[in-house]
Amino acid sequence: MTNLSPRETNLPRRRVLRAAVAAAAVVCAVVACSPVSDNGGGDPSGGDQSAGQDSFGTPADPAAVKQGGKLVIALSAEPDALDPTLSRSLYSRYVFQAMCQKLYDVDEQAQVVPQLATALPTTSDDGRTVTIPLRSGVRFADGTVFDSAAVKATLQRHLTNARSARKSELGPIDGIDTPDPQTVVLRLKQPFAPLVGALADRAGMIMSAQALQSLGDDFASAPVCVGPFKFAKRVPQNSIEVVRDPNYYDASKVHLDTISWRILTDASIRAANLRSGDAQVADSVSTQDVASLRQDAAVSVLQSQSLGYQGMTINVGNVDGIGTAPKPINRPLAQNAKVRQAFEHAIDRKALVDAVFNGLHAAACSPISPASTFSSPEAQTCPAHDPAKAKQLLAEAGVQTPYTVTMLASNTPDTLRLAQALQSMVKDGGFDLKINPVEYSSLLDEQDRGNFELLQLGWSGRIDPDANITNFVGTGASQNVAGYSNPQLDTLLTQARQAGDIEQRRKLYGQAVTLLQQDDALIYLYRQRNLTAVSKQIQGLQVYPDGVIRAAFAGFGK
Amino acid sequence: MARYLFTRAWQSALTLLLSTIVVFVGVRALPGDPALALAGEDRSPEALAAIRQHYGLDQPLPVQFAQYVERMAQGDFGVSIRTGTPVSSMLTTALPVTVELSVLAILIAAALGVGAGVLAAVRRGRPAEWFANGLALIGLSVPHFWLGLLAILYLSVATGLFPASGFVPILEDPVDNLHHIILPAVILGTGLAAIIMRQTRSAMLDSLSSDYVRTAKAKGLRPRAVITRHALRNSLIVVVTVVGLQLGGLISGAVVTEQIFGLPGFGKMTIDAVFQRDYPVIQAVVLLTAAAYIVINLLVDLLYSVIDPRIRVTGEPA
Repeated sequence: MTNLSPRETNLPRRRVLRAAVAAAAVVCAVVACSPVSDNGGGDPSGGDQSAGQDSFGTPADPAAVKQGGKLVIALSAEPDALDPTLSRSLYSRYVFQAMCQKLYDVDEQAQVVPQLATALPTTSDDGRTVTIPLRSGVRFADGTVFDSAAVKATLQRHLTNARSARKSELGPIDGIDTPDPQTVVLRLKQPFAPLVGALADRAGMIMSAQALQSLGDDFASAPVCVGPFKFAKRVPQNSIEVVRDPNYYDASKVHLDTISWRILTDASIRAANLRSGDAQVADSVSTQDVASLRQDAAVSVLQSQSLGYQGMTINVGNVDGIGTAPKPINRPLAQNAKVRQAFEHAIDRKALVDAVFNGLHAAACSPISPASTFSSPEAQTCPAHDPAKAKQLLAEAGVQTPYTVTMLASNTPDTLRLAQALQSMVKDGGFDLKINPVEYSSLLDEQDRGNFELLQLGWSGRIDPDANITNFVGTGASQNVAGYSNPQLDTLLTQARQAGDIEQRRKLYGQAVTLLQQDDALIYLYRQRNLTAVSKQIQGLQVYPDGVIRAAFAGFGK
Repeated sequence: MARYLFTRAWQSALTLLLSTIVVFVGVRALPGDPALALAGEDRSPEALAAIRQHYGLDQPLPVQFAQYVERMAQGDFGVSIRTGTPVSSMLTTALPVTVELSVLAILIAAALGVGAGVLAAVRRGRPAEWFANGLALIGLSVPHFWLGLLAILYLSVATGLFPASGFVPILEDPVDNLHHIILPAVILGTGLAAIIMRQTRSAMLDSLSSDYVRTAKAKGLRPRAVITRHALRNSLIVVVTVVGLQLGGLISGAVVTEQIFGLPGFGKMTIDAVFQRDYPVIQAVVLLTAAAYIVINLLVDLLYSVIDPRIRVTGEPA
């Protein structure tokens, strides 16, 4: 139970342990449990690590890096619109990282740090006024000045554009004031702790007001932000290219002339391009390829544990589709929490991750990553693998074994291997798991319509835990596809959202995880490691827990 | 001739209209929703509604179809749901790549196929024929994707002779363009080359045993002239038909080849659009492919009369 990540070790240890013991007593009274095994979040070194350890890469040594050159990154999927207001794809963030800086960023410890702001925001005592100090002497790629007016124009667009993907992330903003060019004040209707985390993602990317005015909804055709690189060209469904921006305020840190993202959806083709030298970086390396890439003396593999999760959603009330009121479903798995707990006890997460992903991913039992500031022993508690207990719970629930459950899953090779491993694993616990593989778009459709009993999908993760929990399990939340509702949990999540104190939020999220494990509408399985293969010619390329490839300050070694 | 062309033109227009309807209904019959695919992980009902409204997906199907046909009549293919880019500009970028790849593949296939076919017919029953037949068997049996992967492994990764991916427009750097596209074109052309070889061989065997060839030989014509001027010319009509018929195979092969070599052509665009349910892109691509099919078949029919003057095209029903 003392499975603390390095972040937690900075806290007063006695206090943490006391809380841990108390939480353990409560949680273990409800479900049999053991701590989740995880070695992640530890070593931010640049060298190759063994399976199960993080390796984020190291910053470039300016003396050892050549000036100039074109870096080609083989990308597994195409980014969507390069417009921070509209973008919804994880892959757009890779490109934005080089050309659209944010008010805040995250570091390798998943901590929020200033980027275009000069310091973390100050929040008033009532939590409703957030003041952000801005950098001076910064220019956009089009030469216009970055100031509080530009920040206001961007945030207002995020809040008012009909297709904005940022509106809900920014929370209850009531007004934006600009007392001087270097200060922005956000006025909130209620306190909203996840705001800073949102400003460390696309909501915090500031766009040139001039470009917004001239391009309007077509901003993505020629995006203009503040960044080490500026947009050059895009060949739809093939490549995106950015070139060094001479206007960038910290130009001496930039070594490359050009970065090109080339979309190559097949993992083996990406690996081949890396080996042939046509690309120097490949994202989303398959866990099956890592061992052979590690044997290649010219390639290193970076691995950073995701802030998200992969899990299984059980349909407990989604009858008429997402966004409608939950209704009862006449299935033991939907009706009885004991049946769901039995299913969870039938799963051996560690064995699953070892067998299917060669131990590269980490077993996970909650939506909160051990690398998160908001992690706690309660948040990392894990119901133990116990097939006998699973059978006992099924008997208590009055369910005949083997109990048949049908799981909808994506038809990708990795997911199918996972599903097959699960299928054989849960047999011992009294379950007969049927797999129904469908193509990804269909899976989303079926999920939102509520046409499933059990479904395997995941979430890429955000810095603030609110963005990883509330939308998925809050009553009536936008992505609560399980149709799950627990007013006690809703209260905890609202309190955590409005709490200003980190310790208080940590405690509330720990309690939320306990409730989630009792109800088990969403069974968390494992946390992916973002696996990025990098040619050893390249120095300074980094991947942090947010999963974004940071190539802007990389360079070719001398 | 004019009457024939007129008849073919209205038949083509009707075929295109039917294709439009089939494609429009077909893509919408696919399970999945483009708004969901676009929304990605952040799928709030409000966001989905805004996306559907923006792209007109909230309108009844007949209204969507009418709007689509109206736009098409004005040459407007709409905007990609995934990237927000006008489909016409995507086509402008993708079309030259696929055309270049296909033309080059056809040329390579024709050169290899006709050459090997003639050789196999002339050297019947000798090692040259066995060798050519063996190559044809491999060309027909080995799938493009596997051949492509092998080519990348041995000709790009191991030897570095060719780039493993990427594309340089021909106007930017013709030499680099050829360097990038030659390997995919050879891979794409292998299947077609094998088919052409077999057809040429059997057509040549027919021709070589015919009376006019015997007459030509009896006249004392040199063997080379007999083969090229008499036997081959009459065999080519079969080759042209085969190339026309195999166009579908070539396009489906291009889809795979472009995906493997990361070429920004039609094929890659189609695959990505289908997975993302990008209706405007799928519709435009399928419609243009149908149009290309119709035009090429027309050209093949017209070519018959060029190759064999005995064949005349008319507007009369056959």
